[in-house]
Amino acid sequence: MSSKQLNMVQAINSTLDMLMKEDDSIILLGEDIGKDGGVFRVTEGLQAKYGAERVMDTPLVELGIVGMAIGMALAGLKPVPEIQFQDFIFTAFDQIVNQAAKMRYRSGGEYNVPMVLRTPYGGGIRGGLYHSQSGEAYFAHTAGLTVLSPSNPYDAKGLLISAMKSKDPVIFLEPKKLYRSIKSDVPDEKYSIPLGKAALVHEGNGMTFVTYGSMVPTVVNTVVKHSIDADVIDLRTIMPYDGETILNSVKKTGKLIIVHEAPRTLGMGAEISAFISERAVDYLQAPILRVCGPDIPFPYKLEEYYMPNEERILKAINRVQEFR
Amino acid sequence: MDEKELFVKAYKAMALSRALDRKIVMAQRQGRVGFYTPTIGQEALQIGLSMALEKEDVVYQYYRDVPFMLHRGVPPAAIIDQIMGNSSDVEKGRQMPSHYSSKQHNFMSIQSPVATNLPPATGAAYAIKYRKKNNIVVTTFGDGSSSTPDFHAAMNLAAVYELPVVFLCENNKWAISLPIEKQTKVEIWKKADAYGMKGVKVDGNDLFSMYEIAKIEIERVRKEKKPVLIEAVSYRIGPHSTSDDPNKYRTAEITDGSEKDPMTIAEKKMIEHNYLTAEEIEKIKSDAKENIEKIFDEREKLPAPGTDTLFTDVYEKSNWIIDEEKEEIL
Ligand SMILES: Cc1ncc(C[n+]2csc(CCOP(=O)(O)OP(=O)(O)O)c2C)c(N)n1
Ligand SMILES: [Mg+2]
Repeated sequence: MSSKQLNMVQAINSTLDMLMKEDDSIILLGEDIGKDGGVFRVTEGLQAKYGAERVMDTPLVELGIVGMAIGMALAGLKPVPEIQFQDFIFTAFDQIVNQAAKMRYRSGGEYNVPMVLRTPYGGGIRGGLYHSQSGEAYFAHTAGLTVLSPSNPYDAKGLLISAMKSKDPVIFLEPKKLYRSIKSDVPDEKYSIPLGKAALVHEGNGMTFVTYGSMVPTVVNTVVKHSIDADVIDLRTIMPYDGETILNSVKKTGKLIIVHEAPRTLGMGAEISAFISERAVDYLQAPILRVCGPDIPFPYKLEEYYMPNEERILKAINRVQEFR
Repeated sequence: MDEKELFVKAYKAMALSRALDRKIVMAQRQGRVGFYTPTIGQEALQIGLSMALEKEDVVYQYYRDVPFMLHRGVPPAAIIDQIMGNSSDVEKGRQMPSHYSSKQHNFMSIQSPVATNLPPATGAAYAIKYRKKNNIVVTTFGDGSSSTPDFHAAMNLAAVYELPVVFLCENNKWAISLPIEKQTKVEIWKKADAYGMKGVKVDGNDLFSMYEIAKIEIERVRKEKKPVLIEAVSYRIGPHSTSDDPNKYRTAEITDGSEKDPMTIAEKKMIEHNYLTAEEIEKIKSDAKENIEKIFDEREKLPAPGTDTLFTDVYEKSNWIIDEEKEEIL
């Protein structure tokens, strides 16, 4: 089995290429994705290969990009809209929440919207307020959407392949901080990672970490560096999240720390914390802790203070270890 | 179908639609229906356009398009089923009244946020063009909806990509309580020019003019694969919805059965063209009324959908979260 060392940009690019080659119903559309290959180069070379009709440089209108993709999906195509930065998705929010997400339910199952909306999200590139946001909770809060976030190139490929098979709308959140910072061995062949299944990326008995996307390497590195005896769960699918894997791990360790970049209040950490309180409170040996972005707009110059880091994760580790 | 048959079919749909509209409004007052957005006054423009369409054409309609749907073959029973949200409703009672859907007749599913059907309509037209098919897409909306960002986005995209879309603006001069003069400072059809597409205005109260223009424009859209904006000027004879009292903000310009009522105009012309006699018209109207009474009483007896429908169709396959919540509630 042949494979290549790829970064996430390359993994997504080659996966799109592979899928487009075999399925002419796949259409990519977005701002500057064609000739220019996208501002992060994720779609580099695809327009040259598949033409401007299949890799569309659209006018500058997010609600139009998503709205159009919805109509394409309803007409039997498989659109992959790109929103250049997740921060610019809000004018298209209505199309996502009120059209795409509700179409199957409201039509009694007669219509559905198979669309994979890709968008880079999160901080770490000094993008300030409008090029750094993590809005996964907005989408996870909407019935009808599936929300994914890969944390490495291998998963990016496997999750994208699964997303493309989905008959319902998928929000594919790409942690831009990790686009080029890590490489993994990516098989050339097609493989898929099941939706709704988390990965146990580090094993231990002392405590459980739940995280996803850009924070996975930060958590794993901290745990490895300080020889922490911990399970680290990478959700991969944010909605519907893998409750079973989290529950089993917490029952084993009795301690839970959730780490995400998005603001703490009503983020995924709040949901997972409630989930565990509801069904494993008697297993808990320490308070459930959250290490998250603060509830402030994402800053520019002092970005490092916003992103959860080794120091803040260690503090949480100490707190659960010392609790009695 | 020759011209006479075409117009007789159209008039029958108008009469059926008017009878259905009156019945539902009445039933709402009697507490038998929860809510409804009357279509009275907009029959001619919708049916005039529908007459020029093919079966394969796709419609991204809005909540006032019952006449359009009836003309294209959606049975009145299906409309009533949706309004009652009963066990026969294709939508399984999930949407409030006036949000119809009928895949069988190429009608898409209606949403509440106005004009958000327009951008998807352009996507559907893109798919048609990409697959080199010959059908077209029609999307409808009110005058108020022309102020939305979705209208702008869709018009621009349809023009840029040269898509076979008919944008039908049903200008009934009111958006709930806001008159058209306060909605926009430009006639709606003229906005097409700003996007580089054709715009036309037509008397939407006249079935015959509406069909004439629709036929020309639809043929052109089909052949040239380019969009058009048709502004059909009409009047909302009824209230915005059964929850609205228009006496608070306007005096009626056109009333049910008056000279300017599109039904009256159509009847006059049907007689002039020797398509129907006055007696035949009366018969069509009384038959429609009787028919609707019967169907309504029948559909009203149908039970609510089973509670097992509550938790399905959120996704193709359910997930543990929904399963668990279902278990808890049912
Ligand atoms: C985005 C949005 N805002 C507000 C409403 C509430 N609303 C429903 S219909 C309507 C007026 C629509 O007027 P128009 O587009 O002229 O259509 P008409 O009802 O006159 O046929 C409003 C404000 C809505 N449905 N959607
Ligand atoms: Mg109006």
